[in-house]
Amino acid sequence: MSKISIPIGPQHPLLKEPLSMKIDISGEKVLGGSLRLGYVHRGIERLAQKRNYVQTIHLVERVCGICSHIHTTTFCQAVESLLKLEVPPRAQYLRALMCELERIHSHLLWLGILAKHVGLDTIFMHTWHDRELALDVMEEITGGRVLHGANQIGGVRFDLDESHFPMIYANLEKLRSQISGLLDILENEPALIARTKGVAPVSQKTIRQYGVAGPVARASGVDVDMRRDNPLPPYDQLKFSVVTMPDGDAWARTIVRAEEIRESLNLCEMILEDLPDGEVSKRAPRNVPEGEVIIRSEAPRGELFYYLRSDGTDQPARLKIRTPTLAALCLLPVQMSDIQVADIPVVLAGVDLCVACADR
Amino acid sequence: MDKVNFEVLREQIDSLVGSKCEVYDAIGNDDALIIPSERLMDVVALIDQIFDGAHLTTITAQQRAGQHNLIELMYHFYQKFAFTIIVRLPAEAPSIASILSILPGADFYEREVAEMFGVKFTGRTETPPLLLPDDWDQGPPFIRKEVIDE
Repeated sequence: MSKISIPIGPQHPLLKEPLSMKIDISGEKVLGGSLRLGYVHRGIERLAQKRNYVQTIHLVERVCGICSHIHTTTFCQAVESLLKLEVPPRAQYLRALMCELERIHSHLLWLGILAKHVGLDTIFMHTWHDRELALDVMEEITGGRVLHGANQIGGVRFDLDESHFPMIYANLEKLRSQISGLLDILENEPALIARTKGVAPVSQKTIRQYGVAGPVARASGVDVDMRRDNPLPPYDQLKFSVVTMPDGDAWARTIVRAEEIRESLNLCEMILEDLPDGEVSKRAPRNVPEGEVIIRSEAPRGELFYYLRSDGTDQPARLKIRTPTLAALCLLPVQMSDIQVADIPVVLAGVDLCVACADR
Repeated sequence: MDKVNFEVLREQIDSLVGSKCEVYDAIGNDDALIIPSERLMDVVALIDQIFDGAHLTTITAQQRAGQHNLIELMYHFYQKFAFTIIVRLPAEAPSIASILSILPGADFYEREVAEMFGVKFTGRTETPPLLLPDDWDQGPPFIRKEVIDE
């Protein structure tokens, strides 16, 4: 049968973000594909070299519309490391609380997209409804649902008081009950199992060769999590499990993320129980001494990498951002080979695409 | 593999290269080694062999203050511990071997360095634009220091 190339995107109903794909098919079989990024390239790395450190916090918050908080956290940690500024423990815990809430809503968003792609619209409705519970908490404590403006160099710009706790605990409790039901459905729903089990498996070796991390790697049995392996406070004081599965297929990627929501809920409760008293920020100087540092953190999609070099002024001399989606996108054409045409949406959704993150 | 740390790795790289590579200890949280650019492929192959698949996080390109005639490429690895391999290229005509044959995941990183810094990667067919438009033709590469400072 002859080969046909189908262009998908950059604007396409299947994808919410602009990404151009060319998929080669022969009959119902996918032979491979290629990608073209850059439709939401904003030149953030270059812009950062013309902004001061305070302005750059707001710039990196806009790398991603889903995991904006982990970007500002990682950037601030890099600057604080160069400043040798010790962040108050309460601020570290509050940052981690936001990071875990972000992971919960990011994973729920992704589960909804996957469910919609395989035709389970009810699960899509439920997960996106439940996601609001996490977003409501973030909005309540920081004032922002998507862009939180929560971080500053030296700490955070918000604090919790007694009035916040009932709402936070109530929403976490509701989320916990919803996730239990959701996991039950995900593990037993025949339609989902049929659409995801054994689809596009990826080996551990391939994961390493492509530098993939996060839930996609953990679903292939690669036991890696920057919160545990390369912990920045307060993760060195928090106990949690790293969820892995050996299968490496779209099914494993679904279950790993769903289980991770449960782990993040545990972490949120642990953080709230252990929340230290004290101040939430320290005053930081505008100029950052000469030096360079690398910070690796665990974003909802995996290893987030920031390289920052300062030449002693109030502007970064070089800021390099590597988002986890970039590695996962590089792997996508490999996952696309030797699958059925009907599996394309499942494989695409399985990566948990964030094109804005990849483009920067 | 579990017993490999940066010191062990450095010794093996020194023995491969045939001379003592300079340790660069100014990067917070990462150990780094400056190697001759022509031995990059051999060193990456060694890392890949030692760890049975090297995890390359990314490639950072940059020009340091006062050294604008050099482009520095930093290959950041993470294998239970973080380390960086550094090569320095002349900014005039920067060229280096592509590591794509060993680590196919380096594709996007090499393409980004090629378009943003004008580095030529040899041994691969082409480096099509990754982030900039296909018809981008507005002078020297996008993140070169001389372009930013204009």
